[in-house]
Amino acid sequence: MKSKTNKKVIKAAKETVFYLFLTTLIAGMLLPVYFIISLSFLSTREAYQYPLPLVPAIKTDMELGYGERGYLLSVWDRIDKEYQTVLDTADLEKMEYYIKSQLGTKITEEELLIETSRLENSDEESIFFTKPRALLNNYDTFFTVTRDAVPALIRSLQIAGLTILISLSIGGLAGYAFARYIFRGKDTLRFSVLFVRMFPGVAIALPMVFILAEANLYDEPLGLSLIYSVGAIGLTIWITASIFMGIPVSLEEAAQVFGASKFQAFMKVTLPLALPGLAASAMYIFLGAWNETVAAIILTQFKPTFSVVVYQTLLGASGQVNLAAAGGISMAIPAIFFTFFLRKYINRMWGGVKV
Amino acid sequence: MATLEIKNLTKKFGRKIIAVDNISLEVHDGEFLVLLGPSGCGKTTTMRMIAGLEEVTDGTILIGDVDVTELPPRKRNVSMVFQNYAIWPHMTVYENISYALKLKHMGKSEIDQVVHDVARMTKISELLERLPTQLSGGQQQRVAVARAIAVSPKVFLMDEPLSNLDAKLRVSMRTELKTIHASAKATTVFVTHDQSEAMSIADRIVIMQGGKIVQIGSPEEVYEKSADLFVADFIGTPPTNFFDVELKKTGETLHLVHPHFDLSLSPKNAALLQGYDKDRLVLGVRPENILLANEQAKIMSTTVLVVEPQGSHQVIAFKLDENIIKMVAPAQPKMKTGTTIHLNFKQEALRFFDPDSTLAIGN
Ligand SMILES: Nc1ncnc2c1ncn2[C@@H]1O[C@H](COP(=O)(O)OP(=O)(O)O)[C@@H](O)[C@H]1O
Ligand SMILES: [Mg+2]
Repeated sequence: MKSKTNKKVIKAAKETVFYLFLTTLIAGMLLPVYFIISLSFLSTREAYQYPLPLVPAIKTDMELGYGERGYLLSVWDRIDKEYQTVLDTADLEKMEYYIKSQLGTKITEEELLIETSRLENSDEESIFFTKPRALLNNYDTFFTVTRDAVPALIRSLQIAGLTILISLSIGGLAGYAFARYIFRGKDTLRFSVLFVRMFPGVAIALPMVFILAEANLYDEPLGLSLIYSVGAIGLTIWITASIFMGIPVSLEEAAQVFGASKFQAFMKVTLPLALPGLAASAMYIFLGAWNETVAAIILTQFKPTFSVVVYQTLLGASGQVNLAAAGGISMAIPAIFFTFFLRKYINRMWGGVKV
Repeated sequence: MATLEIKNLTKKFGRKIIAVDNISLEVHDGEFLVLLGPSGCGKTTTMRMIAGLEEVTDGTILIGDVDVTELPPRKRNVSMVFQNYAIWPHMTVYENISYALKLKHMGKSEIDQVVHDVARMTKISELLERLPTQLSGGQQQRVAVARAIAVSPKVFLMDEPLSNLDAKLRVSMRTELKTIHASAKATTVFVTHDQSEAMSIADRIVIMQGGKIVQIGSPEEVYEKSADLFVADFIGTPPTNFFDVELKKTGETLHLVHPHFDLSLSPKNAALLQGYDKDRLVLGVRPENILLANEQAKIMSTTVLVVEPQGSHQVIAFKLDENIIKMVAPAQPKMKTGTTIHLNFKQEALRFFDPDSTLAIGN
């Protein structure tokens, strides 16, 4: 009896430790994600505060008084719990700009005029007013200030699409050959396909610049997708070969016996069965091409990819972490969308393969 | 329907592996022929060459007098039940059966008719809209058979179609396949490594070993007149008992002398051995041809080692030197381990084999 309860206690303790471990692990992975999402909604002023606010404010409390040069603008600080003076100016245009860009808050010049006349007409030394935050301000700024952002986004989509097309058609066929045929040098080839991936992108980038320039593909989406395909084809061969190996040859042979040509058998039997796996490879290829930055920096000049633009936001003169965060999130959204879209599609297909 | 003729068929994989070695055989119109042999003897390879899935190294394949040796599978008019069924998992049962008919440009209503006909024949009418993953092994097997008979092939090929079923289902499917064959009257080549399956289902059996054909005959022929030691051993459970014996002549009678018995042969058996000039041979006796005898008629006595009751009969095992010998006796009287028994052989069922060539002697 006693040992039974003991065992229960030990089991419960074990489970607790396990879930604690799991929670820590998940938290460790999710924390940076949360951090960057939250950061992308913070105003510039908040983004450079210490400690950093955990959630973005949805409104801004402001105090307007008289200063030495004109009006004195103070902002309620959620951390220090007091109004802090941020601006002393008579220029309302400047004040409006400051509120918009630094405080990420919506205000119009008329509204500002109303507030100042309210101050003039009152007996108080200062008046208080509250305006809603423009939560998407960083995103707005990112796409308007960074002139390249939208064309770069389109370019990145193009590149990812081209990379999928090239890698999947070449890699998929090669994977099929690896799975179905015995040929001389198969093992060597299988290994050398991975060999390509052993070299970091930076290491081969310089020779690539010359090769692409020679082919008139430097600073072109097609050039970059060719470079990405070099690595992606290797991976695709490995993934698709194992997919095709998992589809019994006898299914194709049965189709041939029952009246199909070799090509028909492939199209009607093997390809549909491989689709979930091919979709999974497409997903990996997309993520690889979409997120790649280093080679893109070296291999583009006037036509940067989206990842390069985000990177430049972080470095450039306008370098603001909250803007970069908004760029990063904008970059993650297509990747997340694509992944979930494909996943849903993959899981819907004859219930078999799970990714 | 048609005949199938194979002439001097050979298949080599690479230079060294000879999977099928110069075999010739003929399958009659509507016949149920079974290719039987141990694993690796070349049955599947033979079947795949007939279907066109494997290139022929040498030889000819004729289906209804048409040389199909070089034709692709789709032009041979054969159909096949694969060992793993090879039902297309992304198509419903209906689509599986109708795919081949569609490729033949058959009309929609005609296809519907055929699908429902074969579904009725194979008892899968209720399953037509299901996907293969929703079927049991036995049902998948039926779908594979239905798909194969739907195309009304000239030759119907089956590669160990029952080996993935559980023992009970396997036996009942045997009977059903036989019934389906009787109504479809398809020229059939059926591959198996299970000799009891072959015996129960075949019109004729082709026994293969090491890529070669060792015997072709009806189930009775291969059982009673096994062509060599391999067949005698392979066919029948328990297998044939073998005794190394010395051939001696005293006066007019021939004797087979073994450390444990001295058997004088009947004139008929003696006649069989007339042309045989060696002084040793292998005597083969099927378990049911070892008889319990009384004191006077016995040729040897021994003690029972193990008894395996089988209901209708009992299998009695005993030991001669290091060899275990098995015999089949009526269920009554019940035998017990340790009992002394007296034995004799059924003269007209004895088989003699040449120890060097392993071939049967006489006939
Ligand atoms: N594709 C192949 N490559 C090389 N050897 C093969 C191949 N297919 C079969 N074999 C060999 O040929 C022989 C006969 O095989 P198989 O016809 O499958 O035998 P069974 O069906 O009677 O078990 C075996 O020794 C097997 O190893
Ligand atoms: Mg086989």
